[in-house]
Amino acid sequence: MSSGELGQIVVNAVLLSGILALVALGFSLVWGIMNIVNLAHGAFIVLGAYVTFFLHELLHIDPFLSIPVSMLVLFTLGWILQRGLVNQVIRAPLLATFLLTFGLELLIVNLINFFFKADLRSVTTGYSGAGLTLGPARIPYARLGALAVSMVLVAALAWFLKSTRTGRAIRATGMDIDAARLTGVKVAAVYASTFAIGAAMAGAAGSLLSMIVPFDPNLGGTYTQRAFAICVLGGLGNVANVVLGAAVYAFVDVFVGASWPSLSRAVTFAILVILLIFRPQGIAGKPA
Amino acid sequence: MKRTAAVSALALLTAFGAFSAPAADTIVFGAAVSLTGKTAKEGEYTRDGYNFLVDKLNETGGITVGGKKYKVSVKYYDDESKSERTAQLIEKLINEDKVSFILGPYGSAPSGTAAPICEKYRIPMIEANGSAESIFSKGYRYTFAVLSPAKLYLKGVVDLVLSKDKNVRTVAVLGENEPFSKEVASGGADYAREKGLQVVYQELYPSGTQDVSALLTNIKAKNPDVILGAGHLQDSLLIVKQARDLGVSPKAMGFSVGPSSPEFRDNLKGSADYILGATQWTEALKYNGDDPWKTPKAYAEAFRAKNPKYRDIPYQVAESSAAALAFWRAIEKANSLDPVKVRDAIASLDMMTFYGQVKFDSRGINVYKPMAVEQLQPDGRKYTVFPPSVAEKDAIYPMVPWDKRK
Amino acid sequence: MRKGVAVLGSLLALGLCLALPKLVSSYRLLTYTRFLLLALTAQGWNFIGGYTGYAAFGNVAYFGIGAYTTGLLMLGRWHVPFFPALAAGALVSGAVAILLGLPILRLKGHYFAIATLGVAEALAQVADNWDSVTEGSTGIDLPIRSDGEFFYYTALGFVILGVLCTAWFSRSKLGYGCVAIREDQDAARMLGIDTTLYKGLAYALSAVFAAVAGGITAYQNVHVTPGDFFQIDYTLEMIIATIIGGAGTVAGPVLGAAIYQLLSTYVWGRFLELHPTVLGLIIVLFIVFLPRGLMTVVGRRRAAGERRFRASDLLANVRAHRVT
Repeated sequence: MSSGELGQIVVNAVLLSGILALVALGFSLVWGIMNIVNLAHGAFIVLGAYVTFFLHELLHIDPFLSIPVSMLVLFTLGWILQRGLVNQVIRAPLLATFLLTFGLELLIVNLINFFFKADLRSVTTGYSGAGLTLGPARIPYARLGALAVSMVLVAALAWFLKSTRTGRAIRATGMDIDAARLTGVKVAAVYASTFAIGAAMAGAAGSLLSMIVPFDPNLGGTYTQRAFAICVLGGLGNVANVVLGAAVYAFVDVFVGASWPSLSRAVTFAILVILLIFRPQGIAGKPA
Repeated sequence: MKRTAAVSALALLTAFGAFSAPAADTIVFGAAVSLTGKTAKEGEYTRDGYNFLVDKLNETGGITVGGKKYKVSVKYYDDESKSERTAQLIEKLINEDKVSFILGPYGSAPSGTAAPICEKYRIPMIEANGSAESIFSKGYRYTFAVLSPAKLYLKGVVDLVLSKDKNVRTVAVLGENEPFSKEVASGGADYAREKGLQVVYQELYPSGTQDVSALLTNIKAKNPDVILGAGHLQDSLLIVKQARDLGVSPKAMGFSVGPSSPEFRDNLKGSADYILGATQWTEALKYNGDDPWKTPKAYAEAFRAKNPKYRDIPYQVAESSAAALAFWRAIEKANSLDPVKVRDAIASLDMMTFYGQVKFDSRGINVYKPMAVEQLQPDGRKYTVFPPSVAEKDAIYPMVPWDKRK
Repeated sequence: MRKGVAVLGSLLALGLCLALPKLVSSYRLLTYTRFLLLALTAQGWNFIGGYTGYAAFGNVAYFGIGAYTTGLLMLGRWHVPFFPALAAGALVSGAVAILLGLPILRLKGHYFAIATLGVAEALAQVADNWDSVTEGSTGIDLPIRSDGEFFYYTALGFVILGVLCTAWFSRSKLGYGCVAIREDQDAARMLGIDTTLYKGLAYALSAVFAAVAGGITAYQNVHVTPGDFFQIDYTLEMIIATIIGGAGTVAGPVLGAAIYQLLSTYVWGRFLELHPTVLGLIIVLFIVFLPRGLMTVVGRRRAAGERRFRASDLLANVRAHRVT
């Protein structure tokens, strides 16, 4: 591997960690607070991508500017789904909520397929493909922007959870639901906000991905799996763990991909499993 | 114990459902194509191609067997882009819907699954979208493909580049790890070596990959003159997009699948310029066939008139029509609706069509029809550029480097 | 008296199952065979997921290993007959499960889930690339056997065996130990249960069942590729079937598989493009109203003082599991 190649690979990994952190952020929040592994997370990402795509295609709105819109749309959807549906079964056995979100994923993805068809789409702007050259490495503007947006949203969520009343209520509910209820927290509402924020983050990730990869209704599955792996790697509990998990995942993925492309998934997962065996609580998670 | 009883009672509930037999003067073809899932778009092309031919066939009065005219209809199921579903659906078509003729699914993987089932029941299948030779190396007698085999896909691209530039030395080949693309990639690499080129990079990536930047970074370091991609539409889009992102600028880029779909330019806009695409068929080809349309041009115009959503006609549409056309001719030639007789008629078929020559070798694949190469050019259109005998326009070579473009 | 009715009922049911191939079209027979094969994988999953409470998410790996071992032995140099090849597939799967189980069964909850998922994905890719043995993504073709009844009876035999095996398991020391592990692993250990051994056995059992189903499916489908036989959908389906029926019950997996298979077959026939949507909707409704599975409806024992299930219980289910 030449040093130029190495430089580019490191750049790729850094850019990938940014977007993956955002992909996993909402997933981790919902899992950590409500103990729900949300298999519909990928479907939310796809919805975000479509919002950005249509705003760009029909109204010529810059994809970065449409991020708040897609977050708002997904926030609303997440809120409704949680209040109307997920809250109804939240105290059922773990696998029941798991299957519920699986059913939701099937439902949403195929409705998108039905209404928008399976056509591949991407958001192509004036600056698509442009980028800056840093020594031997190239940094595309769209990816750089995505990294910046991810970091801003990660920081914003960390601040929100730490410093606002609602954020503190969310964290309190995640730690001990009964204690939270005793102190007057409205659990159903807190859950709905948590799920809605998770969905909004997925929406933002989708908006960014729409600029980076061509997508169709089936894009989400891979990202749900990656989010799952990242949360396990980093450990649940706080926003910083997600960033760490995403960075580790991205570096492993990119380096393995450059070294053994045809076996990349096998090697990545093997590393993940071995890591888990030695640190079952994740890299940064507290021992159980 | 009572539970066991409940279970079996439940199973029996649906055991005795009646199925409706089709009207006696209609021949029903069966097809399990992808309408949802990963290859839903290509499945749609396939279905539109079948339907277009069947509608035409019915307009002309139908298929004549024993002096009687039969109308044709197609019974469709969705295989969800999973070939494991294909197995079940082909069984359903043959055993429950009682079809005697199968039109193939989309893709080599499901075609490979469907083939042994057709063999099992001695029901002929003509498929239009599975060109991996692995399907035809098993000695199955009831499976036929109207399209050229996978390993020939990238041959034209290599020939074209060599005809343009004597100094080309190095090629990089990257392919999706699935039956069809794997053969396309190794076929392309072997042919390049045969022509004296050096294959500096040859890798397969897993199906469903969302990021090829690692591979492209490796390729960039090798600085090849030509990049060949063997995958599907999504992979080709991803490779071009990320090659531009990473500033990987070879003299030519050619793909097995992708450039012929209208979506290729829709997604890539200007980045699509100069890209070469292998194609089974284009409307610019100069065939003169014995069928309702005769020429590719007439076929294309008639198809567009009926399906206005298509600006460009992907070759998957034409080859699917050709598969249904082959059934039409074979059934009339056999003058029988007996699947075994029709199978023999298909095996001995040799016809010229708007799609090119349709004739099957002893394995059942059409090795007689050549491939062509298309190029997307900066005027926003797509031209057939190879072989020279049918080229509409000269290929533009080399491609303008990414950093010299607007 | 009531016992007599039950015995008579099950004999009748068994008779019907045996006579079924003579009564239905061969496609319907295939549908029932598919249902039986799904039931078989679900029965397997039930040992580790239902009784032991470990969310195994990679059982398709054993399905695939079973399919490939059976297939390669039948082809290859030795042309092993089907049943010995199937047995070999089951053995190989069981052995792999024990080897892999030792490290990963130490993980808990979702961590175990992702580890098993990772193992399945990794194995799929190995099968995809190990061209010299598996012919890679191209796949292998088994000898063709068009006799639908053979597959039906084979699958039926194994499912009956599975029911008996589960019934034995649920009353055995092993079964009680596994349930104890599910309820509280530390307490189970304190009671002197060798948790590593018990979990390992339950996991190996689940692998053996999946491998048998994989081997039969391979023989019936003829064409075997990593893309088909290692896809996560098989894992999801066996979990859905078990949950719909009732995890940790003897008849639950079979019941759930029947419902799931019949529903999805019905939905296919009726809704050409919307069928996955409808299936998704059905799953959602099922989980909302019957989150603990169908056995809570049909599995009630009046002898034990349980009353009959009423429609209002569906709403009661919702009330019991919601948060306000």
